[in-house]
Amino acid sequence: MSTADARTAENRREPGIRDRVLILPSVICSHEVTEEIADRVPGAVATPHDHGCAQIGRDNDRTARTLVAMGDHPNVAGCVVVGLGCEHVQSDALAGRIADRGVPVRELSIQSVGGTDACLEEGVAAAEELRADHAVENGGPDLGDLTVGVVSTDLAEPTVGRAEPLVGEFVDRVRSAGGRVVVAGTERVRAHPDAARERFVGDREAIEELLSDRGEPARAPRVAREAGEYAPAEVGRLWGEGRIEEVVAYGDRPAPDSGLALVDSASRFEEAATGVVAAGAHIVVHVTGDGIPTGHPLAPVLKVSATRATLEAVGADIDVDARETDAAGLARRVRETAAGEPCRAERHGVTSFAIERAGPSL
Amino acid sequence: MNTFEGYRRGDGTVGVRNVVAVMPLSVAVSAVAARIAEEGPDRVHATPHQLAADAPEATLEQTRRVLEGVATNPNVGGALLLKLGTEAVDGERVADAVAAAGRPVETLSIREEGGTAAAVAAGEEIVDDLATETAGARREPVDVSELVVGVECGGSDATSGLASNPAVGEACDRLIEAGGTASFSETPEFIGAEHVLAERCASEAVREKLLAYVERREAAAELMGADLRGAQPSPGNQEGGLTTIEEKSLGAIAKGGTTPIRDVVPYGADLPTGEGLVLMDTPGYDVESVTGKVSGGAQVIVFTTGRGSTTGNPIAPVIKVCGNPETWERMGSNMDANASTIVTGGDDLETVGERIYGTILETASGRRTAAEVRGLREFAINELQPNELGYFEGEPDPAEAGGS
Amino acid sequence: MSDDRKAIVLDGTDTVATMLEGGEVGHSLAVEGDVELAEEIPFGHKVALRDHERDEAVRKYGEAIGVATEPIRAGEWVHTHNCDSARGRADGANADAAAGGGRS
Repeated sequence: MSTADARTAENRREPGIRDRVLILPSVICSHEVTEEIADRVPGAVATPHDHGCAQIGRDNDRTARTLVAMGDHPNVAGCVVVGLGCEHVQSDALAGRIADRGVPVRELSIQSVGGTDACLEEGVAAAEELRADHAVENGGPDLGDLTVGVVSTDLAEPTVGRAEPLVGEFVDRVRSAGGRVVVAGTERVRAHPDAARERFVGDREAIEELLSDRGEPARAPRVAREAGEYAPAEVGRLWGEGRIEEVVAYGDRPAPDSGLALVDSASRFEEAATGVVAAGAHIVVHVTGDGIPTGHPLAPVLKVSATRATLEAVGADIDVDARETDAAGLARRVRETAAGEPCRAERHGVTSFAIERAGPSL
Repeated sequence: MNTFEGYRRGDGTVGVRNVVAVMPLSVAVSAVAARIAEEGPDRVHATPHQLAADAPEATLEQTRRVLEGVATNPNVGGALLLKLGTEAVDGERVADAVAAAGRPVETLSIREEGGTAAAVAAGEEIVDDLATETAGARREPVDVSELVVGVECGGSDATSGLASNPAVGEACDRLIEAGGTASFSETPEFIGAEHVLAERCASEAVREKLLAYVERREAAAELMGADLRGAQPSPGNQEGGLTTIEEKSLGAIAKGGTTPIRDVVPYGADLPTGEGLVLMDTPGYDVESVTGKVSGGAQVIVFTTGRGSTTGNPIAPVIKVCGNPETWERMGSNMDANASTIVTGGDDLETVGERIYGTILETASGRRTAAEVRGLREFAINELQPNELGYFEGEPDPAEAGGS
Repeated sequence: MSDDRKAIVLDGTDTVATMLEGGEVGHSLAVEGDVELAEEIPFGHKVALRDHERDEAVRKYGEAIGVATEPIRAGEWVHTHNCDSARGRADGANADAAAGGGRS
C-alpha cells in the first residue's frame, strides 16, 4: 500500500470545502457523455480529458493515478466513473481504486450499458443518487484545516516583485496555522539548483532526480527562460520562508506531515492546477500576470495579479489585486472562498481540466 | 452514383457541412469557446483542446498547423478564433489562412474584450453574425473527385480485420476509382504490416518515408522504457480476440483498400484532393488521429469499430461502421453502417463495401450520423511532448526520408 | 455434423483460424483439416490449426502475427497467454522472429 493509500484510508471524509459529485471519464472517448451528465445534475462536475488510452509506461500510470486522486479529492462527495469499455484505463478498475478509499462510487461503461443514450440516462440517475445520499454543511474551515495549492504561471516583473511575495507571506501564515501547502512549478527549482538543494530538507534522491537534466526542452519555455534571469531569492519568495519538505510525483499526495511540498509539474496552469489538486489542495491560489481566467472543476481558484495592464484589461476575472492587498487580506479571501463564497472562475462558469503528460500518444 | 451535394467555398474546395467553428488558440480559453458555441445555433461547434499558451517551438508549430488545417477544412463556413491574448502560437497566421480560403473569420481576445463575461457576450454576437453570413451557402452537385475521406479504426476486435475494415477498404477502392481521395493513418498500427504497405508504395521515396515514420513510432517504446504492448492491443482489443500489435495492424491496413499508396504526409498536413490513397502519420489514439485528418482536409471520416466506439468530431461527420454482430445489436443507436453481416454470412464484402460507399455519399450530402444526432464531438490535438523532442533531436525528419 | 463450429482461415499458410462463433471442448471446426477444440474458445478468438513449438511464428493473414511463448497443440486457444508480439518491445526481444515476419 502506498503512502497515499494509507493516508486516505484512515482519514477518509476529510472535510472538503465544496460538495461536488464528480463525473469522471476514464478515457477521452467518454468525455462528451460525462459533460452531458454533469450538465443535467445540479452540483455535478466533469473532468473531461484527453487521456486514458494509447499511453504506455509512466505516462499511463500517471493518468490512472491522477484520475484516482480526482475521485478521492475531499471536495468530491461521490463519483460516477464512466468508461467506453475497450480503453486502457478501465473504468471498473478505476472505480475500484476510488471506492477502496471510502468514496461512494458508481461505475458504468458505454459499451456495457449498450450505447451513449443508455449511458447518459444511467449516469444521470447514478449522479442524482449520489447527490441525494450526501449533503454536508460547510463549517467555514480555518486556514489550519486547509491544504492550499499554489501555482504561478509567469515571471513578469509585477508578478515576481509584488504578487509572489504576497502569496509567500500568505503561505507562511497557512503553515504557522497548521495548514499545508502544495506548490507546482519546477522551472524555478531547475534554474537555481544550489538554492533548491539548500531549501530542500526531504529525500535527497528526489530533489536530485528533479534537478537532473532530462535533455528535453522545457514544457513551459517562457517561464523556464525567465526563471534563470532572476536571482534565486527573487523566484523563491512565492513559497514563503519555509523549507520544502517533499517532492511529490505528479498525481500523488504528500505525506501527512509535509507542511510544504513541491509537485513535479511544469508551470502550465491547467496541468499544474490538476497536479496540486491531486496532491490534496482544497483551494488553489493562482498568480497570473497574463490573466488566465480558467478555474478547476474540483477546487475553487483564486486569481491573484499585480500586473496593471491585466488588472485594467481583465480585472473582472481577477479575485485579488495584489497591489492593494496584504497577506491578511488574502488569507481572509481564502477563508471566505473556503466557506463557500464563489470565486470569479466559479461565478463565470469557466473551468478547464488537463493532465500533464509524461510522453507521446501512441 | 459518383456525385454528392456539397458547399462550394471561396477557395474552390467543397464542404459537406456548413460549420461555424469557435476555435480556442489555447486551453486557457477552451472553456470560454465552449460556452460561446453552446449559446449559438446548431451548426456552431467549438473545438476545445488542452494545448497550452506556451510550449516548445516544434510543439507550437504543429499546434498552429493543426489549428490552421481545422479552421480551413472545407466543412468550415466561418470561424471565430478565440485567444487570451498572450499565446505564443501564431493566431494571426491562422486567421490569415482562413481569410485566404475565402471564409469569414473573426478573432476575439479576452484581454482586449475585458474578461470572460464580456468575451462570452461579444463572442455570442460574432457567432450569430457568422451564422447569418454563412446561412446563404447552398448545396450543389459535386463530383466525388472533390471528396477526401479519412478512414479510422477504434475499439477494434477480431471482426475489424474480417469485416468492417475490408468492407471499408472496398468502399475506398470505389471512391478512388471514381477519382476521390482516401486517407488512413495510425502509424503504430502499421507495425507488423509495414512490409505489406511498403510493397504498395507508388515510389521508392514514399516507401522510405513510410518505413521511417513507422520506425519513429516504434521507438516510442524505447523512449518510454516500456513496451508498446502496454498500449497495443488495448484491453478491449484483447478481449475481442486480438493478441498482438502485428495481428491488429494486419487487420487495420485493410481499411484503406488495395490501391497504391501515393504519399505519406505528416500529422495534420494537407491531404491532396484527387490523389488516390494517401497515408498520414498519426498516433493510433483515435480522437487525435481523426483531428489530424480533418486538419488535412478530410470532409468525411469513416470509422470502423468492433467493440463499439461512439466518438464524433466537431467539424467532420464520423460514420461508424460496425463489424461485430453483438455490438451492432447492443449499440446500434451509435452506429451508422452494419458490416457484421459479413461475419454472420449474410453478405459478401463487395455488397457491404458498396453499401458503405453509398452511406459516405449520402452523409456527404447531408445525412446526419449517429454521433451528429447525439452531439458527440470529441476533439483533441496531438501534442509533441518534450521528451520525444529531446529524444529525436538531431535525427532526420521522416518527412525528408526518400529525398522527397 | 451439427457440432461443427464456423471458423475462417484467411490464408493457406496460416497456422490459426478465427472462430466465427464460440466453441466448446470437443467441437470440430468447419474448416479444412481435422481440428477439434481442446478448450472453450470465444467468438473472434483464434484456434491453432496445427502444433506450434515454443518460439515458432504464429501466422494469420498469411503473415507472422507473433511467436508462441510455449508449445501450442492443434485445437488449443491461441491468445496472449501463449502468443506474444515480436515488435515494439523495450527489451528488443523476439526481434529475430520479427525479421522472419518479413520486416523490410
